Amino acid sequence: MLRNGSRQDQGPGPAAEALRLVKVTKTYGSADSAVTALDGVTLGLGRGTFTAVMGPSGSGKSTLLQCAAGLDRPDSGIVRVDGTELTGGGEAELTKFRRGRIGFVFQQYNLLETLTVAQNTVLPLKLAGRRVDRRRVREVLTAVGLGDRLGHRPDQLSGGQRQRVAIARALVTEPRVIFADEPTGALDTRSARDVLRLLREAVREHGRTVVMVTHDPVAASYADSVLFLADGRLAGRMDGPTADAVAERLAHLGDDVPAGV
Amino acid sequence: MRSIRQRPGRFLATLLSAFLGAAVIMTFNSMHDTAGQPGVDPVSSETLSTAAGVVGGYGTLLVFFAIASTLTVNVRQRAAEMELLRCSGATPAQLKRMVVGEAVAVALAIGPAMLGGRALLGVFQDSGQVARSVDHSFGPVALQTGAGITLLAAAGAAFLAVRRATGGSRRRGRARRVLAYAALVAGAVSVTSTFVFSATDAALMAPPAYGAILLSVGCALKAPRLLAAVLDRLPLGGASGWLAVRNLRERAGQLAGILMSLILFTAVATATLTMQAVESDALAASGSVKSVDAKNLETLNFTVVGIIVVFVCLMLVNSLYAATTYRDREFGQQRLAGATPGQVLGVVGAEGLVLTVTGVCFGTLAALAGIVPFTVVRTDAVLPDQAFGVWLGVVAVAAAVTLGTGLGTARRVLRTPAVRAVTSAA
Repeated sequence: MLRNGSRQDQGPGPAAEALRLVKVTKTYGSADSAVTALDGVTLGLGRGTFTAVMGPSGSGKSTLLQCAAGLDRPDSGIVRVDGTELTGGGEAELTKFRRGRIGFVFQQYNLLETLTVAQNTVLPLKLAGRRVDRRRVREVLTAVGLGDRLGHRPDQLSGGQRQRVAIARALVTEPRVIFADEPTGALDTRSARDVLRLLREAVREHGRTVVMVTHDPVAASYADSVLFLADGRLAGRMDGPTADAVAERLAHLGDDVPAGV
Repeated sequence: MRSIRQRPGRFLATLLSAFLGAAVIMTFNSMHDTAGQPGVDPVSSETLSTAAGVVGGYGTLLVFFAIASTLTVNVRQRAAEMELLRCSGATPAQLKRMVVGEAVAVALAIGPAMLGGRALLGVFQDSGQVARSVDHSFGPVALQTGAGITLLAAAGAAFLAVRRATGGSRRRGRARRVLAYAALVAGAVSVTSTFVFSATDAALMAPPAYGAILLSVGCALKAPRLLAAVLDRLPLGGASGWLAVRNLRERAGQLAGILMSLILFTAVATATLTMQAVESDALAASGSVKSVDAKNLETLNFTVVGIIVVFVCLMLVNSLYAATTYRDREFGQQRLAGATPGQVLGVVGAEGLVLTVTGVCFGTLAALAGIVPFTVVRTDAVLPDQAFGVWLGVVAVAAAVTLGTGLGTARRVLRTPAVRAVTSAA
């Protein structure tokens, strides 16, 4: 089901582009009440980059993330993660594609309440049938500042701590791309800053590629570049963003694209 | 009202248990009303009262636990929501709504209960134990017990669950322990008292049957502990097994309701059916032609056991269904963490297997505690030959129901895309 693209494998010679979307289109609903969430989006993100995706609600941010991350299938177009094309198949196929290639950080953490911090972190490895290196897990959890919380359960942690567990869980499988969906949406400013720093560290120090959907200009300012999305289409890009510039651009986003459908 | 509309299936599960419970209770207790009518001859009256007292009593015990267990699953799953509602001062309204719903369910159950009562009276009349002239009556006793027990079980379970949600678990743990030991001691006494009876006593079957039920209730109340003990000795491989063991360990308290149904089902079905088989064979062996009375007793026994076993079985399906639909968010989280749908089903299957094995084990122990004294007194053997066949049948049904419901429900839950499952308000 999975075709290799420009490069043969994901080992020593990874593709130069971590993520590639070509003319990706996604429509929800039936014929008369159809809503086009993504309208021919084409983009490429290099390895080791930190990109924020911004846009007003309903602009297709979440759909973009879900299609790019193999959580949903686009109606048409090509999605390539680390040079490997995502093709059709059932949920099991998509899951196997995501394993090892993609890590997730969600607004609502999505940690399993019945598992401890350490168990939550190793869960993706267990499910993929990979060997669990306890020392490495401890290292990763220590790096996110939770080295002394291994046996705690999610409900014993603050929101910021839970999100850091989620980041550790996303890092431990060493994925090609980490997708973060409003990772700071439920956090106070201080915890949000910690989380954003950790994401930036993952890019700078470990060479990961991070794609973050957010509506917060401050969060977006931690990224290397910002992609703007409006009405399911790309509506511009900003490199080296600052919070003020992003907010300014966001406010006038409607002006850049033709109004209407 | 919105919270009910959003999960009609789950609310229906609770109402269904109240409906069935009320129907069973009222069917048997309407015999009291029938017996109390003017102009009923003493023999008919005694038969009816005995049936209502003995069978109604033991049915009531089961129904109470069944309703309580389903409701506890339901309410406890919503503990977080409840707490939120309580903070906004809405819990009394929620509880009221629930109780109103129960009341409606009881009212709806009156029709089937009247039909059931008439049919039961017909059985007695066909057997000649009750005069033909006696008419079925559905009166205050049936209504009061039906409504009283159903509502009490519902309100009690809701109250306990809400109190637990607001943090009063330690004292409740002690109360539960006391109750469990009380049930175990009472069960042991009841079972032991079998030896007081002689082999041909008509009531010989009552003490071991009651004893087995009480013992199984005691075991059921200790279910979380028992489950934990079993889990510690379980080598389950693979990611699914790993997750299943951890889930069960964490949720042992919440799964007690399902285990309770399983233990009760196994114990009641195995004990009663085996004892009846032993009784029938013993009568046949004694050479005497089966008297009309003995035949009637047999029919009645099978009818009653049939009703109760089907009831407990439905409760099992009901509480398992309720418990599984509430896990949509959890399943979604597992899938987002890299679990294939097959692995999620593997987790559910492994959990079901552990629950079945645990439930069947302790249900069998409780059943044996009743069967062995009965057989010793009745036939001087220790273990009847009939026990094994009955047991196999019961276990097959228990396993099929538990795994079938769990996996079937999980399959349906998995149809929701993972991303939507984790964002929908759980």
